[in-house]
Parts: sequence; structure tokens; C-alpha cells
Amino acid sequence: MLSSQRINGGNSRPLHDDDDTDEEALALTLVDALQDNEVYDDTEPRTGGVQISGDDIQQRLASAAQPLEFQATLGARFASYDNYCSLFHFILNSDGPVDLELPTYYWAWDVIDEFIYQFNSFCIHRNNVARKGQNEEEKQLLRDNPQTWGCYSVLNVLYSLIQRSQMNEQLASIKRGDDPNEVAGEYGSRPLYRMLGYFSIIGLLRVHCLLGDFTLALKTLDDIELNKKAVFARVMAAHFTTYMMMRRYADAIKAFSHILVYVSRTKGFQKNAQFDSITKKNDQMYALIAVCVALCPTRLDDTIHATLREKYGDQFQRMQRGGLDTLPIFEQLFNSACPKFISPIPPDFDKPENNIDPAQHHLQVFMSDVKNAMLGPTLKSFLKLYTTQDLHKLAGLIDLGPENLRTQLLVYKQRSRQTRWSEGGLLDGDIVNTSDLDFALEGDLIHISEAKTGRKLVDWYLRNLARTY
Amino acid sequence: MTTDATSRPQHIEEILSGLDRYNPETVSVFQDYVQQQCDTRTYDNMANLALLKLYQFNPHLTRDETITNILVKALTVFPSPDFSLCLHLLPPNSLISPPIDTFAEAVQKLHLLSKQLEGAEYREFWSILDGDDLYADLVADCSGFEELMRLRIATAVAQAFREIKREILEGYLNMQGEAFEGFIKNVCVWTLEGERVKIPLNKENEAITTVTREVVKIDQFSRIFRRAYEQPC
Repeated sequence: MLSSQRINGGNSRPLHDDDDTDEEALALTLVDALQDNEVYDDTEPRTGGVQISGDDIQQRLASAAQPLEFQATLGARFASYDNYCSLFHFILNSDGPVDLELPTYYWAWDVIDEFIYQFNSFCIHRNNVARKGQNEEEKQLLRDNPQTWGCYSVLNVLYSLIQRSQMNEQLASIKRGDDPNEVAGEYGSRPLYRMLGYFSIIGLLRVHCLLGDFTLALKTLDDIELNKKAVFARVMAAHFTTYMMMRRYADAIKAFSHILVYVSRTKGFQKNAQFDSITKKNDQMYALIAVCVALCPTRLDDTIHATLREKYGDQFQRMQRGGLDTLPIFEQLFNSACPKFISPIPPDFDKPENNIDPAQHHLQVFMSDVKNAMLGPTLKSFLKLYTTQDLHKLAGLIDLGPENLRTQLLVYKQRSRQTRWSEGGLLDGDIVNTSDLDFALEGDLIHISEAKTGRKLVDWYLRNLARTY
Repeated sequence: MTTDATSRPQHIEEILSGLDRYNPETVSVFQDYVQQQCDTRTYDNMANLALLKLYQFNPHLTRDETITNILVKALTVFPSPDFSLCLHLLPPNSLISPPIDTFAEAVQKLHLLSKQLEGAEYREFWSILDGDDLYADLVADCSGFEELMRLRIATAVAQAFREIKREILEGYLNMQGEAFEGFIKNVCVWTLEGERVKIPLNKENEAITTVTREVVKIDQFSRIFRRAYEQPC
């Protein structure tokens, strides 16, 4: 879900209607920096033989943030990679921090975004070439340049930007309530590096996610407080997939509802074309939340629930009902909404049949979990009717062998216990019961219990009291 | 996610928290650490995932045996999702059927075991495990594999049952006679009454009906109170 927002040219800007946010503050400092125009004629970049002069760099900066055409040739992709290399090299390895006049307000975000997008699409393209094996010329070119858009160089750029700006230290100190400038150092106190550092962390999350390392992806974000309204839709989306892949559906739903409510609230203000890309993303997120809720029934926020029914009503209903025949729906929604997974290494050009789409691999792993959940809804609907019931009798009602039913009950129990985040690092959490239905077996007798929620009246009273005043 | 970070050696911790986790030279350190986990019955998922990532980036360094050992270790911590998290980091072609090489075959065999565990088909799990010599090779490196699996299964059973027929539990644990009785009494501390095994109450098998009531705090009404003072009607 991370990259298909390309339809509109890709420089999707952050959602930008909240005032008291970190990004806002960062962006403002950046604007300040833009105003005092510094001269950078005397900077002598050592960019691997490429000299960047003052006039030239403006163009380069602008082009780095520009999206590549959809059908760019392999040559253009290679050239773009070289451009990024020299640009980042210039920013990171000059003598001391460089001063740059940035072409646009959102340059730092755009450049990181575009960088990762190009990396992503390059890898997909390379894999396709290897798999289909029709274009011999491209194949040879790719075979000869295994290092271009290599995983190591992409990660290297992101990590270097983070380290240069001391971003993790800065964020940790913001969290503690200290002044981040104390730890920022020579580079990190400058807006350019600060912005690049911050967005690199988010970039890193995306790269890890694309590679299928969901654990590390989440760990990267430890210092960024995601539940603040400040965060962009797409970041939340990535965060959300991560939890989902770790089978912490309850956390996924929470993270996800949060951002959707935010997007739906700010929708009215977003009139520009770029918002379309977010709308697309939005749809994908709805698809994923539908999957999650089907796997782990949860009460949703009313607005989300209404939209969900509007967009995916039919599929959602069928998924909630469960049963093996709904598996294709899970697959379909997952495929339409998952990140464009990539494989980090050059494919095997000699044996096309050995290269399969990484997305298919991840889908396969994910589906083996989904398959286990299929009887859940049926089981639940029957259990709900009783407080105690005999196993054999219930087995007869559901049309299942008693042995099989016992197994399914164990599965249900296992699935209802999930790790849920409460505080601390994003990977931490306690194991809790996420289902409102619980049971215990005493021999063949099933004791069933329900966690009921009493009526909530306070909100209603408050609303009506406010109205009468 | 299950990580036993308390037993993690200092030097591993250092590699994991720094950029050295991407350094191909640390592969051998991690490999030794996996071996150590197999020998000492400890488990450190973060380190294992880091190693799988190194393999992912540097396929020429891959040691199939270490990967299968990691997967076997991940089985011993079910029902946590560790096994699938590891699978996500393997080469995408390792799950195509039919398997493309012996490594893929081993991965798919272990995946089959993992599916049985997640489906709570414990009997089936044991019979598959015993039914193929290849499995014996795969789990040989992991010391106490069967015992670790029994403990995990017992935990899952204790979550759902207060009382279970001896015969069924024997099947789940793949143990009979005195060995079974010893395991129940000494390891699980459950009691055997005739043909039934009694499992003491715990948080998960109580199944008490609870009603969550709304918690009303005075703060929620602060605005109402303030308005009342500001503009008396």
C-alpha cells in the first residue's frame, strides 16, 4: 500500500492541518532557514568525481524530488540512482554541514519518498524482467549491475542521514522533555539535516516493511510517537500492516482507526489534487481493516464502520461470516492493499522459474494464519447461545466431529490471546484476551462466559446537557 | 514475539543495537549464537531475525542448516507468530510447491509442522514428526525439542481446560504410562484422578462472565459545572 499512490505524481504531501505538531515545527524552522539565503559557492563537494556547482545544484535538488515517469527506461533508472548517490554523498560527506536553498517546502519528505519509491519500483521491475525473461538486453544490463539500487546502499543512505542528524537522540530527548538541540550536534541542529533525518526513520520503516522484516520495522519507530495526530496517513498505514503481520490484530485496528478518523475529519480541508493519493491509500486501509476485523472481531468507531460498509460491505459481511469459501476474499483484499513487497537481492536470471513474486510469498504465509480462523465466527455464534453446553451436543449442532470441535475450540482460545501494546516500546505488550467471549472445558462440558459492556450513558448525558445550555 | 532478552550476551546486544547488524562479518557470531540457543534451550528471536536478514541480503553466506535450526527453535515458542515472521524473511521461492531444492523441502516440512501446531492438531503433529526420518535430522540440533514442545502444548491445554480425559491428553503430549504420569505430576503440577486429569484454575480457564461498567469521573463534567457558574440560567 505504500507506493500505489503514484497516480498523482507521488509527491504526496503530509497531511497538514494540525498546528501543534512536531513536523509543523520542523517545517517552520525549515522555512526560516530558507529565508536567510546563504551563499554556498565555496562548498567543495567530493562527490565521486562529479562536481556540483551552485547553479547546478538547484536543478539537481528539484529533480531529486521529481517523480520518475511511470514507464521510465532502465537507463533513466540507472541515471537517477547515480544522481541520488552523488546528491546524498554531497550532503553527507562534504567538509561539515552543507547549506542548501531548498526548492520547495516539502523537499525533504519528497526526496526521501521518491528515493524509496524508485528503489521499490526498480526491484519490482528487475524481478519481473527475470521472471518473464523476454527482454535479453535489459536482462544483461541488470545482470552486469547488481549493485545499482542495492539494498545496502539504500539502507546506508537512510542510516547515515539518521546518524548525521542524531535524530534518534533528538527524539528521545523530546520525549523526555529536554531540549533536543543539546544532543543535535553540528549537523542535527540544522533544519535540512533534521528534516532528512526524521523522514529517513519513516523511510526506514517502509523499506523494512517492503522487505518483510516487520519486527525491525516496528522497532525503528520506537522513538516516534505514532499516536500523535502529527503522523502522515501513509506512515500509519505501514505501521498498521506491521502489526497485522505480527498477528496483533487488536493493535492494528487501533492504530488504523486512529488515522482513518483523522483523515475523515480533515477531508474537508484538503481540496488539492494530492489528496487523491491519500484517498486511494485510504481505500486500501479500509480493505485491511476489514480483514483485521474479520479475523479479530472488534467494535469500530461509528464513522469508520459506516464507511467500511459502504466501500466493502459485501466482502466484509462474508468475511465476518467465515468459512473456507471466503478465503479468496481475504486474498483479494490483501493483494490489493498490501505494500508492494520486494526481494532485496538480484533475482536468478538463469532460472526464471525460481523467481516468484515476493508478494505471493508473503500472501502465502499470511493466508496460512487466516485459514485457521475460518471456523471462528460459526463457533462464536453457537457458543453465544449457551452458558454451558455438552461438547458432543454442540458438535452435532455445528455438524463437526467431537474431536474436531475440541481442536477448533483450542484454536479459538489460542487466537483470542494476543499481545497488545500498553506502554513502552512498540514491540512490547501484554498478552490479553481480545474476544468478548471466553470458555473453559471441564471434560466434555463447555463453560461459556461473556464479557459484557454496560450501557454507556455519560456521553449521551453530556451531549444533551450541552445542547440545553 | 517472544524474546528472552535476559540471557542475551553483551556482545550480541551490542551488534543488535548498532549498525553492525548489517555487517556480513557478524554472520558467524550469530551462527554461533543460534547453536548456543539450541544447546542451552534459550531463545532469542531478535538475534535470529537479524541473522535471517543478513542471509537475505547476502545469499552467498547462507547456511541452510542454521536456517532450519532457527525455524525449529521458532516452533518451540508457538503460538507466538515467530515462525511466520521468520518465514517472511526467507527467499520467496522457498515455499513454491513442489520444492525447488532440499532446503525448500525442509522449510516446507517445518511449515507443515507449524500449521499443525497452529491448528491445535497436536496428535497429528506428533505423528507427522515421527513419521518421517527427515524430521529427526532437522530437530536433532535443538536439544530437548520434544520436551519444549510438550511444555508449550501443556500451556495451551491449561488455557482451555479445567479437566481433560487422560487418553486425550496422552495423545496431545505423545506420552503414555509412567512417563505421562511423571510429567503431569512433576512438570505441570496437575492431579490425576482416575481417567481424568484435573487442571487447577488459572486466569485463562476461569471463564468468568464480567460486566464492564462505565467509569464516570468528575472531570468529564467540568465544562458543565463551569458553564453553570458562568451564566446562571
